[in-house]
Amino acid sequence: MARYSILVVEDEHTLRRLLEYRLSKYYRVRSAANGEEALQLVLEEIPDLIISDIMMPKMDGFALQQALQSRKETRAIPFIFLTAKADEHSRMRGMRMGVDDYITKPFDIDQLLARIERLLERTKYFQSQLDARIGQDFSKKLMPKQLPSVPGYRLYFHNSPKEYGGGDFFDWTQHPSGSFFITIGDVMGKGLQAKFYAFSFLSYIRGTLYAMLQTSQSPAELLRRVNHVLMQDTVMEETFASLLILRWDPTTHEVTYANAGHCRPILVKDRQTAEVVEYSDLILGLDSNATFQDATITIPTGGGLLLYTDGLMEQRTASGEMLGEEGLCELAPQMVGAEDPVQTLLQGILSRCNTDTFDDDILFFWMERLS
Amino acid sequence: MHNPSVMSFSVEPLNAETVVIRVGKALDFRNAAEFKAICQEQVQNGVRNFILDFSETGILDSTGLGAIFSLYRQVSPRNGQVVFASVSRPVQVVVQLTRTYKVFRQFPTVEAAQEALQQT
Repeated sequence: MARYSILVVEDEHTLRRLLEYRLSKYYRVRSAANGEEALQLVLEEIPDLIISDIMMPKMDGFALQQALQSRKETRAIPFIFLTAKADEHSRMRGMRMGVDDYITKPFDIDQLLARIERLLERTKYFQSQLDARIGQDFSKKLMPKQLPSVPGYRLYFHNSPKEYGGGDFFDWTQHPSGSFFITIGDVMGKGLQAKFYAFSFLSYIRGTLYAMLQTSQSPAELLRRVNHVLMQDTVMEETFASLLILRWDPTTHEVTYANAGHCRPILVKDRQTAEVVEYSDLILGLDSNATFQDATITIPTGGGLLLYTDGLMEQRTASGEMLGEEGLCELAPQMVGAEDPVQTLLQGILSRCNTDTFDDDILFFWMERLS
Repeated sequence: MHNPSVMSFSVEPLNAETVVIRVGKALDFRNAAEFKAICQEQVQNGVRNFILDFSETGILDSTGLGAIFSLYRQVSPRNGQVVFASVSRPVQVVVQLTRTYKVFRQFPTVEAAQEALQQT
């Protein structure tokens, strides 16, 4: 396991060197002589814990703590004040500001080490508990529990996230007319935060779709409405998402879709040929004047449609290049008629790589029209 | 002490409203927060036009792109612009995929970008 990183902020040279020396036996240590320098270092790499003096030139410990509190990515860094100020006033002020521990000089270094260890352990424990529980919980809600069974077609879904996965989501719903609405997308960002936004976002899409179907069945109209919300709602201000919505009518085999910057589907024509479904528009959340258009394709007999998220296409092949749309166009036709289309595609991709695992979250949906 | 060689980005002011940011080898989940912080500081100083130089960039992931999007959303209400210069192939792929060339104008060089910004 990687060693924890600790940032020491102390203006007095000798003490700073002493702390660096003692801590570096157990941790990766960086040090700064004042709050300003410390902030720079924090922005370069967020440390696992900060030990800071209070009285320092330029920016003091209180100002540093305040600056860290004002940014969401630095707010939760465990923070220990180390100071000559024994007075209760400073101690209370520090505690109110979210300082986790407080040690007065002169101090016993072993005592400091013990406190650091305890604080890091506690933080790690809470983090892992929280991540695992929330991650699993949200993951389930972002993926379909089952697939519809549709005469004349066979459908496959595969999802293998890395660790807790990211912001990928997939959903389907059937309209009373018999057509299906299929939603696939990716909320930008990594880890739990992306997953959380994806969850809120998907709930919103479901709600909007339901309301919209009373008056319109246009995927582009849905994208317009969702984009509008992302641009207006301050809660969703930092949310950017690619989204592909398809309306699929299994009786006519027509698929009408609108694509907001999502990976373009692959239309398989037969066991040899496939092409990229070209038309797409801007990703959501970026421009309130963005326009979206519907386009229609037909799934041929003995062909199919492959929907996926970027992990599949960005997989590095043995040459170091990304698999890309070209690679998928070459591999996807092999899924037609295959006993296990999911494994056929996965193995097909991995056989082009130097590894037997995928680099990123993998999600795809394969709908094949039987001949 | 702070070591400039580990910084991923360098900022070069062209005038009071325009800066060039040289994006290094990567803009991704590891340094997107740093990129955001640097841009934030520029925006607070009154900068509204950003030329992003991607000549060295091999990796642009969705978190990195998200950071650029945040910047765009901050400056666009002030009639500011975010433009791309010397776009490398890996960056081009991402830009194509997300259709963001509809929003971020691209120029072959920083100089060409600078010239175009002066005319608006």
